[in-house]
Amino acid sequence: MLSDFGTLLLFILAAFAFIALVLFGARFLRPDRPNIEKNSTYESGEEPVGNANIQFNIRFYVVALVFVLFDVELVFLFPWATVFGQARLIEATGGRWGWFALTEVILFVVVLALGLAYVWAKGYLDWVKPQPKLPTVETKVPMDLYKQVNERFK
Amino acid sequence: MFPIVLLSVFAVVLLFLGFLKSRSVLLPATLLFLVAALVANFLDWNKTYLYFNSMLRTDNLSMVFTAIVLLSSFLVVALSGSFEDDEAAQPAEYYAIILFSLVGAIMMIGYENLVMLFVGVEILSVAMYILTGSDKRNLRSNEAALKYFLMGAFATGIMLFGMALLYGASGSFTLAGIASYASHAQQGLSLIFYVGLLMLLVGLLFKVSAAPFHFWTPDVYDGAPTIFTAYMSTVVKTAGFAALLHLLAASFTYVYSFWGIILAVVTAITLIAGNVTAVYQNSFKRMMAYSSISHAGYLLIGLAALSAQSRQAIVFYSLAYSIATISAFGVLMLVTRQRGMQTLSSNPLSNESFDAFNGLAKQNPLLGLAMATSMLSLAGIPLTAGFWGKFYMFSTAVERGQIWLLVVAVLMSAVGIYYYFRVIIAMYFRDGATEPIRISPVFRYVLVAAIILTIGLGVAPGLLQGLF
Amino acid sequence: MTEFLAFFKTLTPTGYLFLLLTALTVISAMGVVTARNPIYSVLALIATFFCLSGHYILLNAQFLAAVNIIVYAGAIMVLFLFTIMFLNLRREDEEAKTNLTKIASVIVGGTLMVMLIMIFRAKSSQLPVGSTVGFEPNTGMVENLGHLLYGSYILPFELASVLFLIAMVGAVMLGKREAGDRHF
Repeated sequence: MLSDFGTLLLFILAAFAFIALVLFGARFLRPDRPNIEKNSTYESGEEPVGNANIQFNIRFYVVALVFVLFDVELVFLFPWATVFGQARLIEATGGRWGWFALTEVILFVVVLALGLAYVWAKGYLDWVKPQPKLPTVETKVPMDLYKQVNERFK
Repeated sequence: MFPIVLLSVFAVVLLFLGFLKSRSVLLPATLLFLVAALVANFLDWNKTYLYFNSMLRTDNLSMVFTAIVLLSSFLVVALSGSFEDDEAAQPAEYYAIILFSLVGAIMMIGYENLVMLFVGVEILSVAMYILTGSDKRNLRSNEAALKYFLMGAFATGIMLFGMALLYGASGSFTLAGIASYASHAQQGLSLIFYVGLLMLLVGLLFKVSAAPFHFWTPDVYDGAPTIFTAYMSTVVKTAGFAALLHLLAASFTYVYSFWGIILAVVTAITLIAGNVTAVYQNSFKRMMAYSSISHAGYLLIGLAALSAQSRQAIVFYSLAYSIATISAFGVLMLVTRQRGMQTLSSNPLSNESFDAFNGLAKQNPLLGLAMATSMLSLAGIPLTAGFWGKFYMFSTAVERGQIWLLVVAVLMSAVGIYYYFRVIIAMYFRDGATEPIRISPVFRYVLVAAIILTIGLGVAPGLLQGLF
Repeated sequence: MTEFLAFFKTLTPTGYLFLLLTALTVISAMGVVTARNPIYSVLALIATFFCLSGHYILLNAQFLAAVNIIVYAGAIMVLFLFTIMFLNLRREDEEAKTNLTKIASVIVGGTLMVMLIMIFRAKSSQLPVGSTVGFEPNTGMVENLGHLLYGSYILPFELASVLFLIAMVGAVMLGKREAGDRHF
């Protein structure tokens, strides 16, 4: 009989096998017409070649920091999930344990949610885009004159 | 327990009060919250409780320490003047962080479990890192925050390692469990236990800036905005000493022969390093930083002796020290601001030097009196609270028979008189182009209250006796 | 030498796994401090964290192992990388070290090494053998952690949320771009 770790190993092996299967299956089924754009690593337009060691925008960092805090919070929720519904504890406390555990975790989450609400309301999560500045020229010539000229020599 | 809950809720409320258009509501709200917490603190008076599976203890000693911490922060917040002259300031956040940090301080005062101590120390420290760096456009503030953070994180790591080792040796996180393990000292304890105790002590001594772990103090106190320096040098120190006192008295009395001598040596080094270096300072703010190191040394005397009187001595000393320090920093803030407007020089170094106080007392008798009282109290001159603080401290050392430590401490107090009197001489006997400084009413009340408390405790030190 | 071989023969498969993991941990930890390129250094640190997670699993602390990977190898390492990106350390120049610092570090490091060797040689013969009497193999399991965390340790747990909140407020307060700041 397999131990729990054996099951885990089987699971990992199955994952590898599945990916291999899908990749090879796709290779046989799909049409093969590559071009430069398709072959580039990121089709979103990110330059794949060149120094990856570029300066990031500092706004990423604030978001990353907030993410770390919520990451840690979620880690705390996992042990809670294993105990809040235990029949033994609920029976031993006459049903109060479930409510107690629920209150505990709600308090914890609400405090952090308040933090998120604060950050949100303060606008720290807004992505301030640089405002494109249109060049203006001091001139006596009216704008529609330019437009007429442009129209004529289109 | 009540202050912890109240302060947490109040801090969140303050955070969201910051969304209001007007900033003027923040200062009275914060002061009101602090008073409410102070009242709630005394609800359990004369009763001893252990809350939540012996995580937190309230007894008269912890309530008195909590009251000192709350009173200090009340005075500091009152002096902050709502940060009205600084457009970039974020007062709602500052006040909220101060209230949150008080939660940490109260945990450090009333903990019964090392986990509580750790979380408390972390809350207080993280708040202090943020407040140190709150003046974002000032490079010195940034540098101070970074230095404080790096060193403080390192010290926290050492402290946590110490706790882990203590747990490994004794199998318990509670102070009572560790004490019951330590009571077998006769049969020999595990080496891990002693190493753990040392590391825990190192971490806490760093937080109260005792030598040889004091190197961060001058730069951080100097770089932080003055109002937060006043907060740091009083609340953090009081909470740190309350934590140390409770730790040593509750868990480690059985192994006094091990840590007593180590702490006595640390005390002597702290006293010498703080006082002697303070003599050479030209900046008043930096001198106060070294003076706070030296006062950590005086407070350590009571810990190194750990006699029956130590509790009272530490309570009295931290109260006297906190009041005097806050009023000194308050006067410094007014003088610096005035000189900044007068000379239009934004160089804080020249505005915070001793020369800035030249002739202050002639035009501003109240400021001169407040500063002189707090300097006399810090120097330990009779008829001020500081004298009795030192007296109680020294008598604990006598009780334990640590005469060599007493000699060092008395010599260093004499050195201290020199640099504290430099300010008084500058204010009263030097000529300077100081104009009358406009003092807002709140400022005036705080300074008068500080003078009255310092003199009152100096004349009748028995007021605090027998409370706990 | 024969002692060494005899020691190897007594090992269980777990023992071999432990030795392998330890070797990997030490190698990758040395990579962290020796790598010239800070990004390689961070990658080596991630490898170290994975090895440490392996150790946690050997100690039957599965939850800790998972948390170590999620929080440290995942989230915190991202922050490390971000910081390195901000600093823009493209030039690989060694910071100036005077001869005095070099000599001092050699002396301090050497003393520490000698001390460690001495302690190891003196204590290795009398290392306490872990007793299995009070050993509870399920201590590290997530369920027991849940019982403790949501039972006896409920107060520090709730107050930890205050710590997170203060960290969050501080982070956004200090990290916010001011009007006059440089624009990247």
